[in-house]
Amino acid sequence: MNREASRPPAPPEPLERWHDALTALQLLQLDPMGFGGICLRAPHGPVRERWLQALAGLGLNTVKVPGSVDTERLLGGIDLAHTLQTGQLRTQAGLLQQADQGLVCLPMAERLASALLAPLVQALEQGQVPPTRHSSAPTATRFGVVALDESLPDEPGLGAALQERLGVWLDLHELSPHDLHAGTALAPATDTDPDALQLQLSPAALARARERLAQVQASDDQLQALCAAALGLGIGSLRVPSLALRVAGAHAALNGRSALDADDLGFAARSVLAPRATQWPAEPSAPEADAAPPEDPSPAPEAPPEPPPEPGEAPPKDQEPNDDAQDPGPPPEPSAEDLQEMVVAAALASLPPHMLDALMTRQGAASHNTSGRSGQTRAGAQRGRPLPPRPGRPGGQARLHVLATLRAAAPKQKLRNVAPPAAHSQSDAASSLGPARSRGRVAIRAEDFHIQRYQQRASSCLILALDASGSAALQRLAEAKGAVELLLQQSYARRDSVCIVAFRGAQAQLLLPMTRSLVRAKRAMTGLPGGGGTPLALALKMAHEQAAQLQRQGVTPILVVLSDGRANVTLQGLGGRAQAQTDAHNWGQQWRLSGHRALWIDTSVQPDTQAQQLANTMGASYLPMPQVQAQRMAHAMERVRSPLA
Amino acid sequence: MALTFPFAAIVGQDEMTLAIQVVAVDPTVGGVLVLGDRGTGKSTAVRALADLLPPIAVVKGCPYRCDPAQPANACPFCQARNPKSKVVTERQSVAVVDLPLGATEDRVVGALDLEKALSQGVKEFAPGLLAQAHRGFLYIDEVNLLDDHLVDLLIDVAASGENLVEREGLSVRHPARFVLVGSGNPEEGELRPQLLDRFGLSVQVRTPQDLALRVQIIKRRDAFDKDPAGFKAQWHKDNQKLQKRILKARELLAQVQVSDEMLMLCARLCQQLGTDGLRAELTLLRATRAYAALQGHSAVKPEHLNSMAPLALRHRLRRNPLDDTDSGARVQRSLQEVLAA
Repeated sequence: MNREASRPPAPPEPLERWHDALTALQLLQLDPMGFGGICLRAPHGPVRERWLQALAGLGLNTVKVPGSVDTERLLGGIDLAHTLQTGQLRTQAGLLQQADQGLVCLPMAERLASALLAPLVQALEQGQVPPTRHSSAPTATRFGVVALDESLPDEPGLGAALQERLGVWLDLHELSPHDLHAGTALAPATDTDPDALQLQLSPAALARARERLAQVQASDDQLQALCAAALGLGIGSLRVPSLALRVAGAHAALNGRSALDADDLGFAARSVLAPRATQWPAEPSAPEADAAPPEDPSPAPEAPPEPPPEPGEAPPKDQEPNDDAQDPGPPPEPSAEDLQEMVVAAALASLPPHMLDALMTRQGAASHNTSGRSGQTRAGAQRGRPLPPRPGRPGGQARLHVLATLRAAAPKQKLRNVAPPAAHSQSDAASSLGPARSRGRVAIRAEDFHIQRYQQRASSCLILALDASGSAALQRLAEAKGAVELLLQQSYARRDSVCIVAFRGAQAQLLLPMTRSLVRAKRAMTGLPGGGGTPLALALKMAHEQAAQLQRQGVTPILVVLSDGRANVTLQGLGGRAQAQTDAHNWGQQWRLSGHRALWIDTSVQPDTQAQQLANTMGASYLPMPQVQAQRMAHAMERVRSPLA
Repeated sequence: MALTFPFAAIVGQDEMTLAIQVVAVDPTVGGVLVLGDRGTGKSTAVRALADLLPPIAVVKGCPYRCDPAQPANACPFCQARNPKSKVVTERQSVAVVDLPLGATEDRVVGALDLEKALSQGVKEFAPGLLAQAHRGFLYIDEVNLLDDHLVDLLIDVAASGENLVEREGLSVRHPARFVLVGSGNPEEGELRPQLLDRFGLSVQVRTPQDLALRVQIIKRRDAFDKDPAGFKAQWHKDNQKLQKRILKARELLAQVQVSDEMLMLCARLCQQLGTDGLRAELTLLRATRAYAALQGHSAVKPEHLNSMAPLALRHRLRRNPLDDTDSGARVQRSLQEVLAA
């Protein structure tokens, strides 16, 4: 409580966020592998740079893993150059082994291929690198992960499997450099030095804090509060409260406590629970949880029941945990319900506004769980059906095809062994190993290298743009839904994924991000209400954006529009038939330029030229619905697909 | 070796732990598929499985860990051995091998031994994950996101118990008899029916919504994280007890009687549910028998069937891919009808 006094009263929200980000760094230094790590969502910019600088200043062993790393390098494998030179297998430690006791930093983590993500998660979870083909025993390594996620709010972010295991989620999207300066001006007393962020704890302080970390205890009430808060925020996973507990424990140790207090729980709630919230907590004082959530542990504290015997209760600050074991005995024990309310309040206060909107409409769950990218791989992938190898340089995406390489080298062995051309092989041959040894060696030159090739069928994703406007809803929304269901069944058979864009009123919404789960697709669709104007342009725009995104992920998009084509809402979400039509045509043209396939299913009762024209503009096949029986539509779908096959 | 969370300390998730125990008693039941949300203890339970199983005797030096009593037909190592010489055995713990999502094909099936190829110019096979999993468990987390070409590989091997490698100029056949254990979140994608069929039992887990239970789980997990060795020691006795129970059940398994009446019941149930093929009946039978043995009964009774039918049949029903009702309930309903009849 005295801590509150030392802090600037009710710091502005962005500043607090920045403070939390810095505190998270200190926690990382204290306990790099205790709570999984940090997922930082922020665009490239001065704010992130600043944070990364501070991270570099922590003095932790940090290994950066680029997205282009191959499995061999990540998990350890053959040192190819050395192996070829000496003819003896030489392995090298992978990046994950090198990161032992330190951090793995993943830049552009959202673009990381699932082939890399999966072993990374496995190693993180089990504390050991799985055995590779060349090392039969698993090697122990414990590390934390700092994942830098640059994805935009509507893009698929970091893979869910990894994200879930990272304790602290930070979102610095809305921070401007200006905020940070304001922060340093406002809070000179805290640990932020205006120029160089000196967060690094002194070795002695670190050792003390670590020692304390081992002893930090949470009371049953506090445990219950964390669990209840997580449950209230709609976080089903049990990993999360567990991580929150560890974050809170580290926070306590950092601040020189050996028992958790409200501040620690508040921090854990803000940084671990809040970002994962998928729903509003049911009962507590939700909306007016403004400004100063952690500041109200007031319910009980006035009268400490037992005489706290500590004289030095004053000092604990953000920085430099004062050493002396200031006795735990946290005097006021707020009841479990109070604590829970407090934790929820702290979590709520840190939810960004636009996210709240998403939560209100129950979209948060969907857009957070998406891991649609998994399972898909780009063309020219490293996996799939093997093709004959061809000469080429290994490295990057290309893997050496050893047998083909050896085969290519074999006929020339005699020649090469007689007259070794390169200087180093000459000295090798003359070395003490003797002629017998050198005879067993294979002389391989760069020209022998063959690389492996694989063929993989690109997967496709069906984008369903469903018109739920009044004009459509009146007549055929239900029918259109039935049609979509049919398409879904078909895409199930083809192992395609689907993504649904629904539009009505003044907006188009991404009802369902790309998924292979048809149950979810169906559920999302059945719950869709109808009515309102027809914002066709908005829908086409969104479909276009989705398509571009899918394309970047190596998935072929196919658009199916189910609409009557009577656009009457403009791109700005305003009424106006003429403008709305023009906008729709503009975006239709955009679609055509993208060159993706499309099918327009006209859902009007009496098909007129409007929809047909639009379909033409888009380069889409046109299909009026009145005559369409369910089966015919399915056939039509096949025809749209087959030109490519 | 990293320590795993002790199986006996797992709180709740009774259906899942039961299914795992049943498979431990009788591996021929087939694998276990665990479907549910993230963070429900799926992988914790599966990884803890190794605890439950006593070490097995293997032929020393055999890369496929063959059983000394009856070496697999396909094992190239044991075939090459002189049949007259005495077999040297050693005891090893049962393997629980992780198959990561992004694994490459050569990592899974095995590939050319690079060291030998380079240093001696010898063409030799280096076994992959499938070989490591022989006589053990192959665990696939997020099995529903597994790439199709890996699924193809698995389906074949899981059915035949043999891995056939024809690549990179190699032609190798080796035994790979393992129990497939998969886990995944159905929200993120569906499983191919063929692969689904390879799993003997299927379990659905949900996050416990009971606060007290959740607190208890977090507490134990925290205690384990703080001091894995100590926590493990604390639960050692319970784990031993569990292991003993499974061993006893294994011994009893051969003696468990299945009356014709029960067989009829199984058949009628499968018929009513319209499951494809006979695999459903067989699995149901084996699972029920193993469960009875686990309970210490020497004859299969309807109540055993009652517990096992949803696990064994849930994923085998023909169903509309868009239908999201729980198939377990359907199985229960049919079972009640069959029992009543």
